[in-house]
Amino acid sequence: MLVQDDLLAPEVVADPYPYFARLREEDPVHWNQRWGGWLVTRYEDVVTVLRDYERFSADRMASLVLELTPEDRDRLSLLINYFSKWLVFTDPPYHTRVRMLINKAFTPTSVERLRPRVREIVDELLSEVAHRGHMEFIHDFAFHLPVIVISEYLGVPPEDREQVKEWSDETSRIFFIRADEPDRRERSQRGLQHLLEYFEPLIYDRRRHPKDDLITALVQAEERGDLLSHEELLATCTVLIFAGHETTTNLLANGLVALTEHRDQWELLRDNPSLVRPAVEELLRYDGPVKATFRWAKTDTELGGKTIREGDRMLAVLGAANRDPRKFQNPDDLDITRTPNPHVAFGHGIHICLGAPLARLEAQEAFLALSQRFPNIRLADRPREYHRTIVARALKELWVEW
Amino acid sequence: MARRLRIAIDYDRCVGSGICVLTAPHVFEFNDQRQSSVIDPTGDPEELVLEAAHGCPQMAIFVEDADTGERLFPPPGLE
Repeated sequence: MLVQDDLLAPEVVADPYPYFARLREEDPVHWNQRWGGWLVTRYEDVVTVLRDYERFSADRMASLVLELTPEDRDRLSLLINYFSKWLVFTDPPYHTRVRMLINKAFTPTSVERLRPRVREIVDELLSEVAHRGHMEFIHDFAFHLPVIVISEYLGVPPEDREQVKEWSDETSRIFFIRADEPDRRERSQRGLQHLLEYFEPLIYDRRRHPKDDLITALVQAEERGDLLSHEELLATCTVLIFAGHETTTNLLANGLVALTEHRDQWELLRDNPSLVRPAVEELLRYDGPVKATFRWAKTDTELGGKTIREGDRMLAVLGAANRDPRKFQNPDDLDITRTPNPHVAFGHGIHICLGAPLARLEAQEAFLALSQRFPNIRLADRPREYHRTIVARALKELWVEW
Repeated sequence: MARRLRIAIDYDRCVGSGICVLTAPHVFEFNDQRQSSVIDPTGDPEELVLEAAHGCPQMAIFVEDADTGERLFPPPGLE
């Protein structure tokens, strides 16, 4: 039915929105043969899949384990053991217990106290490049901001940040499916192993010398016994460091592209800094960092008139839902004053991004500072290339000038 | 005597995280859309209601003193 039905086709990777729009109009719950799962593209259906955790599981490891041979299971046992304790891949009741435990640290009012420090980091990073007149936005800015913020919040010392970031990137290989990497599971496990070995002594240290950081808070939860086991504590440290990295980088980069390509909106923000909150929401909706998120059907069920079988894999296409004209007026227009803006860029339901309030805060401070300090910023005349992944909307480089 | 609270939910923001339902289970409940709904503003102590409002990742819960109209959550500048 569809001429081109490939999530990883070059033109879809470069600009997925026309493909998403066609699916959404022609076959909103679509069996994609190549990927082997259902693509869900209408807002209402995406929200249903993400809200209904009893019908649609987030347990990625359960399905991975089924795909693996017994030998592979043995070889990847560390990865399976820890990833199956990562909040994003778990269902209630485990998810409920751990989420409630760390939710307090990530509420909008809790992260608000980080705003002055975030502003300072943004300012320092921009000051370093200001005299140059150009930068590679991802490497010079968007990459550093979230790493510094989550590292400080968690309690990773500055001198270890780069190394931890590298291991975190290795760990992430299994998720951001890059089709051309046959050994990505092994590399992912090695990255995770490094992270675990790194966090052990930090945890040990915080037990003896508590500090005002998240590791200490988690250690104290572990020490109360019934709240968090040692493995769960380690798993949670690794998921927080990982989740605090790449997605925020991509939010900043995609957001800057969107704003500079819609000059009127950039000028509107520049002249009205108080619009920064709705502006960030609109950037999330318009071209957010996560194109889609996975679920697995727990029972035979029906969605959008299609029969879904137990075990079927589902891709809730956030980027398609966010442009659904049934939900948003003129969805392909960037309008930084759009309110309300019930986008699903952070997901929906019980797995709504834990770090959303922190990502929002970082993006608000970044775009505020960029629009005030570099009012004439523009994209350099270079081709833009995106990583070939199903999940992440991630530029390889982004050159800008001012 | 405990003051009476007026609790409102912004359905454009509520994503059904369930945090409020878990924090103050006698005040909040999932409706059939799996969004939050207020079943009884007096069901749990005020402290838990405010903790639920604080815990909401979407700042979707608004709490005020029903008699004086005083805003108790969110704090000014954060809504």
